[in-house]
Amino acid sequence: MHLKYESQLREPLVSGNKDYHQVSEDICRPIEVKPTKLWYVGFFIAITFLCFGVYCVYREVTYGIGQWNLNKTIGWGWDITNFVWWVGIGHAGTLISAILLLFRQGWRTGVNRAAEAMTIFAVMCAGQFPVFHMGRVWMAFFVLPYPNTRGPLWPNFNSPLLWDVFAISTYLTVSLLFWYSGLLPDFATVRDRAKTKLRKMLYGVAAFGWTGSTKHWQRHESLSLVLAGLSTPLVLSVHTIVSFDFATSVIPGWHTTIFPPYFVAGAVFSGFAMVQTLMLMLRKVFLLEDYITMGHIEAMNKVIVLTGSIVGVAYLTELFMGWYSQNKFEGYTFWYSRANLFSPYGWSYWGMMACNVISPQIFWFRKLRRNIYVTFFMSIIVNIGMWFERFVIIVTSLYRDYLPSSWSPYYSPTIWEMGFYLGTFGLFFTCFFLFAKYFPVIAIAEIKAVLKTSGENFKETVGKEEEMQPETFAHEYAHAH
Amino acid sequence: MASIREQFEIPGKLKTWSYALIGVGVLAFILGLVTKGIGGNEHDHNVFIGTLMYNSIFFTLICNASMFFICATTLAMGGWQVVFRRIPEAISTMVPIFGSITFVILLYIIGSHNHHIYHWLSEEAKSDPVLKGKLGFLNPTFYITWSVLTIGLWSVLGARIRKLSSEADDAITMNGEAGQSFIWRNTVSAALFIVWFALTVGSTVPWLWMMSIDAHWYSTMYSWYTFASSFVSGMSLIALWVVYLKNKGYLEYANEEHLHDIGKFMFAFSIFWTYLWFSQYMLIWYANIPEETIYFKHRVQGPYRGLFFLNIILNFVCPILILMKRGAKRNYTLITFMSVLIIFGHWVDFYQMVMGSISKEEVTLGWLDFGIAALFVGLMIFFVAKALAKKPLMPKYHPFLKESIIHHT
Repeated sequence: MHLKYESQLREPLVSGNKDYHQVSEDICRPIEVKPTKLWYVGFFIAITFLCFGVYCVYREVTYGIGQWNLNKTIGWGWDITNFVWWVGIGHAGTLISAILLLFRQGWRTGVNRAAEAMTIFAVMCAGQFPVFHMGRVWMAFFVLPYPNTRGPLWPNFNSPLLWDVFAISTYLTVSLLFWYSGLLPDFATVRDRAKTKLRKMLYGVAAFGWTGSTKHWQRHESLSLVLAGLSTPLVLSVHTIVSFDFATSVIPGWHTTIFPPYFVAGAVFSGFAMVQTLMLMLRKVFLLEDYITMGHIEAMNKVIVLTGSIVGVAYLTELFMGWYSQNKFEGYTFWYSRANLFSPYGWSYWGMMACNVISPQIFWFRKLRRNIYVTFFMSIIVNIGMWFERFVIIVTSLYRDYLPSSWSPYYSPTIWEMGFYLGTFGLFFTCFFLFAKYFPVIAIAEIKAVLKTSGENFKETVGKEEEMQPETFAHEYAHAH
Repeated sequence: MASIREQFEIPGKLKTWSYALIGVGVLAFILGLVTKGIGGNEHDHNVFIGTLMYNSIFFTLICNASMFFICATTLAMGGWQVVFRRIPEAISTMVPIFGSITFVILLYIIGSHNHHIYHWLSEEAKSDPVLKGKLGFLNPTFYITWSVLTIGLWSVLGARIRKLSSEADDAITMNGEAGQSFIWRNTVSAALFIVWFALTVGSTVPWLWMMSIDAHWYSTMYSWYTFASSFVSGMSLIALWVVYLKNKGYLEYANEEHLHDIGKFMFAFSIFWTYLWFSQYMLIWYANIPEETIYFKHRVQGPYRGLFFLNIILNFVCPILILMKRGAKRNYTLITFMSVLIIFGHWVDFYQMVMGSISKEEVTLGWLDFGIAALFVGLMIFFVAKALAKKPLMPKYHPFLKESIIHHT
């Protein structure tokens, strides 16, 4: 006999007395009712930011990179900091859907849909920065290696910047496919519940004619597995290649072999912080506390303390090697430009350490992991800390290079540089608000799949197995091999 | 309802094998001691010590990887591994034994001021502009203190977790509060071990024990690379014991579903090792800075060239091609073959990491290396079998045992 059994010691993944119908009701409700005032206010603010961002980009394209405070020494500043920050955030979604799927983490079903959406929007935001940093943005297509009439002019395949183009575009494509294929059955659910013709048609088109037949499910399952397999190495490769942008150079503070795995850990860290920020708001506004439970929040806080500590070990390793190498330049960068609080940018290094390494350690305590206010506060702190990390890496390495005559004065961004960043927040939240209004924010089909093992009401009915002796249990339920 | 064979009885054949391997090992040790250790020239002496050194470090780390596996799965609230959890527990009992052997060897190197192995022990180091700056870290006092702490805490924390595991043998139900408290205490102990593991294997210890042989050279990746190498071998070692016990008719509830997941770990961490290998190598190659590339000079262009490629073939090409398929990970024969291959492959990796720095001009891989490895394997078989026989093979009342019994991938 096949049994769906899970230890009673595990917290239910879905709380409350839910059946399949109730799950559809709860998750589809926000799509089927008129948006609230809160939604309109939020959406309007997001659009305002987006418009300001567009204006800032307009200025940059029209008047040139001089609109920003970059100079020959600090050639990368806020723009690339923001780029790496957004790409990092764009890691959690695919990690949750692909790697946690491989690790069979049931709690991923509560948060994967919104996290994947967030991933896609974050990567879209990230892409803006290198593109507009080119200055002559109309030449952007030069990065594509297509057969051309430019003679020997061809992208430089030795450059990690070009690898980025491939890595990020591949990542975006696969994440998008993964996300969308997961949405198909849920779109069909929304379609089937639709009361108006237009709605039925639009969601019908989006659902690609999904009928829910066994054949469809079979193909859907194999497609998911293939996409999960493809996404897994991509989760690692994207930030690895972003780290190569720095690590292949000989700039002190950048040329360090630990960069690839440490960047990936940092990306997962920041991604989970952003998921946490969004989920805490989402569950409150859409009344989804039964699906995104304290258990989910706690699990994500565990990932945060784990990745934060991995990143911490990496920071300390680098700092140690800055001394151990006895290389004057490395020593200067790490111990003077960074770890010295009183150097021009010392504040950013200590900001990074405080936000990313020291403060997440509070999550060793169960009480704090399960406190919503602490979690929300910490998620913001980590987001800030990870921004500092990229700023530290980029600016504190660049502003004083090997040649003192080219050292740069203190760098602070212009209003247009900051506006561009704010604009990407606008873009991100505009997309997210639209997503929250028109898409099922939780994977309905996947929640239904775990309901009978991990739903609170179903768990309550399983008492017999818990009392059995292991031999009896095995005799009854273990499948023969 | 058939009762299960919970108690492992050490088969005579296994004992014979372990005695034979130990015998071969002792013989190789004595021969090595006579011909190289005492009898040979200085280079031979260093090769002899180096051989003892990398073998002891390698076998200590791969046995310690078992405890890491237990702690990582405990912290992740894993349930699938419970039916075979006692195997990594038994393997981890080797940590105090191999750890002590390692410590004695390292202590001998420090005590005899062998500056051919650790250049920072020499008098010149005090005037070398680079080395003298490192002496705050690379000095006998810190080295010995840290090594004692490292091995000591690995052993103590590991023993604590094994002791806790015995509670699951008693016929009290582990449901409700008792179960919660059991899981909680396991989690706390596992967290302590993991933190100490990160501060040792994940950072300081590989620098101190191995990277400092090339006293001038450094790479921030070094420790994580060493971790990956030892963890994937550690998983393979667990797989070997699981297959062995299955073949002997034990571990009724472990089946190819569990093996499949162990195989996934072997596959995934082989790729992870390759990822770290590539990241370290590529970044050093790309930047092309002489003080960094010097590490690879004799490994890629010198006498170690063959081993350099063998390392990649054994530890990357073979696992990715052979373990990729689902069927391969569920096949006892193939998993056995791959486990042996991976352990051998990473043993070769440790060989080139240590000996590639001690004996730069010639590859000395030969009877002594295999003999000393046989000694460690023999000791491992002997003591692990003993540890397995001491306790039931399954933590019968572990709260997650039933999840493990019906586990399917």
